[in-house]
Amino acid sequence: MGRMSDKEEQTMREMQDNLRADPFPLKTYTHIGKRGERRLDGYHKAGGRADYTMDVQLPGMLHLKFLNAPYPHAEIKHMDTTEAERLPGVRYILRYDHPELPPRASLGKVTGIYGDPPPLSRFAHFEGEPMGAAVAAETEAIAEEAVRRIKVEWEERPFNLDIMAAKDKNAPLSYPEMYPDSNYWNNGFFDVLTQGNVKKGFAAAGRTIEFEFNRRGHTWIGPERPCGVFRWKGDSPELWVKQQRPHLVKKNLSSWYGGVPMNKIKLHCLYQGASFGGWVQVPWNMGPLYCAGLVAKETGRPVKYAFSRREDFYGQSMDDGIYRFKVGFNSDGTILAVDCTTTFTNQIWPVFNPVNHLRENTRIPHLKGKIETVWINKGPAVPTRCEQLPASLSLTAIFSRVAAECGLDPVEVALKNDGVEGHDLDHVAVEKEKLGFPVIDSLAVCVQKGKAAMDWDAKWHPPGARRLPNGRMHGMGFTWTNEWDDSLGSSEMAIRIERNDGTATILSMGCDQGVDAENTYCRIAADELGLKLEDVHYNPQIDPGFFRMSPDSSTNLSVNGWAVRHAARILKQRILEAAVRPTAQTQRGSFRPAFPDCAPEDLDIADSVIFRKSDPSESVSMADFVQAAGQSGPITSTENAGFRWAFTEPLFAFSYHVQVGSYNPHNPRPHLTRQAHFLEIEVDTETGEIHIVKVVNVNDVGKAINPMSCEGQQYGGSVMGLSRGKFEEMIYDPVTGVMLNGNLIDYKIATTLDVDAPIDTILVESGMGYGPYGSVGIGEDIGTVMTGLVGPAVHNAIGVWIDDHPITPDKVLKALGKI
Amino acid sequence: METNAFACPHIRLTVNGKAYTREVRPNWTLYQLIHDHLGLTGAKQFCDRGACGSCTVIMDGKAVLSCMILAVECDGKTIETVEGIADAGHPLIDAYVRHHAMQCGYCTPGFVTTSKALLDNNPKPTAQEVKIALSGNLCRCGTYPQHTIAVLEVSQKLTTS
Repeated sequence: MGRMSDKEEQTMREMQDNLRADPFPLKTYTHIGKRGERRLDGYHKAGGRADYTMDVQLPGMLHLKFLNAPYPHAEIKHMDTTEAERLPGVRYILRYDHPELPPRASLGKVTGIYGDPPPLSRFAHFEGEPMGAAVAAETEAIAEEAVRRIKVEWEERPFNLDIMAAKDKNAPLSYPEMYPDSNYWNNGFFDVLTQGNVKKGFAAAGRTIEFEFNRRGHTWIGPERPCGVFRWKGDSPELWVKQQRPHLVKKNLSSWYGGVPMNKIKLHCLYQGASFGGWVQVPWNMGPLYCAGLVAKETGRPVKYAFSRREDFYGQSMDDGIYRFKVGFNSDGTILAVDCTTTFTNQIWPVFNPVNHLRENTRIPHLKGKIETVWINKGPAVPTRCEQLPASLSLTAIFSRVAAECGLDPVEVALKNDGVEGHDLDHVAVEKEKLGFPVIDSLAVCVQKGKAAMDWDAKWHPPGARRLPNGRMHGMGFTWTNEWDDSLGSSEMAIRIERNDGTATILSMGCDQGVDAENTYCRIAADELGLKLEDVHYNPQIDPGFFRMSPDSSTNLSVNGWAVRHAARILKQRILEAAVRPTAQTQRGSFRPAFPDCAPEDLDIADSVIFRKSDPSESVSMADFVQAAGQSGPITSTENAGFRWAFTEPLFAFSYHVQVGSYNPHNPRPHLTRQAHFLEIEVDTETGEIHIVKVVNVNDVGKAINPMSCEGQQYGGSVMGLSRGKFEEMIYDPVTGVMLNGNLIDYKIATTLDVDAPIDTILVESGMGYGPYGSVGIGEDIGTVMTGLVGPAVHNAIGVWIDDHPITPDKVLKALGKI
Repeated sequence: METNAFACPHIRLTVNGKAYTREVRPNWTLYQLIHDHLGLTGAKQFCDRGACGSCTVIMDGKAVLSCMILAVECDGKTIETVEGIADAGHPLIDAYVRHHAMQCGYCTPGFVTTSKALLDNNPKPTAQEVKIALSGNLCRCGTYPQHTIAVLEVSQKLTTS
């Protein structure tokens, strides 16, 4: 039991050599790839029985609300909480100067960039920041009223909202507590990616263009607001968290309050009302959880904190910034050099380089991508479905521009430049053969299927060339990139066979973001173990001591899939070995095996029944094999008295996977799978409105283990991506620095009527992914890639580039010279 | 704000076929009554101002936003929540599950109740009528296409059976 044997470990490593084609796929698939299988979460969610952290109510629970900074940059000089304390129902007020509050605490994942700030700061660095004080009261309404009664003497500071102004050496400091010398992070150097020599590339190019665009701040809008519940039982904390990476809470918490042993932390990670990004792993979110724990300790009562909807609006996507490009190319669409400089803001996580997808997916020989990042007085910028946004936006913009400049179909320009790390497809084909993959041109397959579904050849036209009978201008957009997966990480998965009925339970904590990931892992376990799908269950909301990589909406299948597959394979072998061994060893002997005179390799399992391969009629169900636990009877009194067996050893196995994967700038092997997206729109030149007519998503997912879940990411990602491309932007008052539209009326996201168009979802299965059976994740991709596709489609419609995203009707009318 | 300065009236209402008498504070919303005090947590609060539809329940046959109605206004009303719809075995639940008309699921109960009210009042809606009926329900995961499929399928089933 416990640790895997040397042989098992060696086998695991061989099986998990994901740099090559999967050498050990299953011969047949029963549940993997099948449509119409159950959703584990379906009836809970549709029937209103899915519990989220926001739903948690505990006896005696207090509600914690935070003071929000009224200024974008300010310092508390004095605070008077007397009036708040007098309000009936107020039980505790935590102030920034509480002696138990440390000056710094471990409150996130990436500490090198942002540092470890205090859990409750005296300084405000953006309007609306939860800081200064937190009130615990019997109800949320009382806590809110008490916060309003706190009197604060503020010292306002000058602030920056504009990226370019903040770069000026005479600009006021945005964040002097952390960056006392400059608004630049690391003196302006954040990241630079180079390949080849761009000067050489531009010299060889027949043509050169330069352009710039601006992506305005937008946010994630997770339906369930950031929240957490904290209570203490003696020195043992119990938490309910809305959190993409629950293990990170345990890690951070273990260093809080003077130290908490990991084995005393009881953690619950219920259904998650979506996150779409890394905000859960930064101090802005972790600080309030720290405060909730401290107040729970001080009051001896459970404490729930929940951001208001407006408080949630202050976080922003990390792609917000200014992008400047110089592109060298020939008139046939061959791109030779790209030089890109981007200026981003408030990067709490390291954003990915904007030329990264050009390096990963193209034969463009000369690349340079430089990122600089500055601090301004807005909220934290984190991955928001996801950190690949800058690279996706850049690839889409560059290819669309080059195609338009050359008068070429953008699909042709994509195919002409497809490759890997500066190499062409011939080179890639050799690599594929060496690694054991089929030599499939993934982009060509995606394009062929997508063009057919969109009727692209009939519909595409030069920019501004087609006015429809309804008076609108018709536009077509196309983009593509690799099928990426967030596979830089580790996963631990275990499976145990339950007593009495022989069902299997997968053990590993994660977060359910709604991508039906748990069912995906159940399918792998069921097919590998030979069990019926209904006999495999997975509840990731409890902490069994194992943690998978999460969120699964970040394409973590390629890590977790290996771990669960190998755990299932070890477990199956252990079941078959147990089936041929004498069972119920006691002081007086043992019972005969379930399958006497048999070797494990003579047996197999299918439909939850163990059977002899040479004579399937000789069989026993898993339920009969495992027996009930702790039963009395024959085991103590009638050994060898005709009973075939009476007790089977506990059946349990774990495995793990640690992967460098494709998430690393220095990929251990090329990206081989591609995705292609097609968009048809109509632009009303009188109103500036953009009408979505048709969308086609084609994704080479390698192997579709859960096809309907993959399709969900396609149409769902299209809706979210187009919403971001058309509508979404946080508006700030430049005079006061106050956000003006921090609610769901004034900040528009797409409804059923805004993407009221057919969305064709096509899956390609080339088997060239990093995951088991050649799979690759899909969770983040489409919502990220589609965001940048509105611009090229609008250009194709009206013949004018709009370089200010999102592309709202007023910008369209301005581009048309009508306002 | 919540204080004891106001009289707390008793109201009688029927929720999912069960009669309740409850003392309610004047500032409680119907959402608070249902979610926090009756323990029917299917209704969700996504926005905080009647913009998202996630707290939708059916009151006297009409879909309403429970966060925008005071509990004291509901004396004598008949309420149906998503739990009641599920417990009654309404085919919408099965259709939503089969068509994956959910991802994170936080907004799903609001869609189910809105759809149920639509079908009760318009048993054979067109696709466009379904989209219009559901246009007040926000889904950040972008599951919109599946709702129309599920609702039209249930409409077909209910009107032909």
